[in-house]
Amino acid sequence: MAQDISPLEARGALDAIDRGRRHVIDEIDLPTWYWWGLALGWIGLGVITDLKHPWLTAAATLVFGAVHAAVAPRAASGRHRTQHLSVRAEVAGRRTARFVIGSVAALGLLTVAAALAASADGAGHPVTMASVLVAVIILLGGPRLLAAIRRRAAA
Amino acid sequence: MTEPKFDELIHQSTRLSIMGLLAAADWADFAFLREELGMSDSALSKQLSTLEAAGYVTIDRPVSDHRRRVRASLTQPGMAAFQGHVAALRRIVEGADTRPLLAPQSK
Repeated sequence: MAQDISPLEARGALDAIDRGRRHVIDEIDLPTWYWWGLALGWIGLGVITDLKHPWLTAAATLVFGAVHAAVAPRAASGRHRTQHLSVRAEVAGRRTARFVIGSVAALGLLTVAAALAASADGAGHPVTMASVLVAVIILLGGPRLLAAIRRRAAA
Repeated sequence: MTEPKFDELIHQSTRLSIMGLLAAADWADFAFLREELGMSDSALSKQLSTLEAAGYVTIDRPVSDHRRRVRASLTQPGMAAFQGHVAALRRIVEGADTRPLLAPQSK
């Protein structure tokens, strides 16, 4: 039977399989509560940092990191955008986890840079200001960035 | 590396699309498959039954939100057969791609 299949037909079949895979990748997403939790946690951390108690800041950072590490793997698996489908871990997990780790690192650097800029400008609560800015970026940009990555992954 | 193995049962276009969707998912519910494939309930049921009878797909009926859902997922033999079939298709395509390159050498 395989001998009867033309290369053109085989290519068409592979394209159909790829289309199916793309449709499944389209379902990868992070829940809304994850973005809100990350944004509010970020602001909370900024406010605590501005209190200028190094031990409190260190403890809050550890708690934030621990909570994120505990919650993110489940939320960030990106596998349950709808109740209609569970994306296979090999398809969703790796690229979504990479996205989350990369994003948190980039947001951390952005917060430090924005806080330094605000501080140089004489702002009273530079880290809080920077964290609010980053929280807005998380809420507005996070889902869009993930969608862009999803489209690129499917391309 | 997966051994290429052409599978006539999988190659039928609708079943190939079903297997392609399920290969990227742990499970997909009946409504998702029906929507993606643009099929009627009865046509999809028939194809899923064929794949289930071959041992390639399992059908579960969990109750969620007081509603009975129908979920399909690939079995391990189903995944192996699908990967073998994809490898066979790739071999056919690659064979066609390399033939013009090999032709001058065979003269």
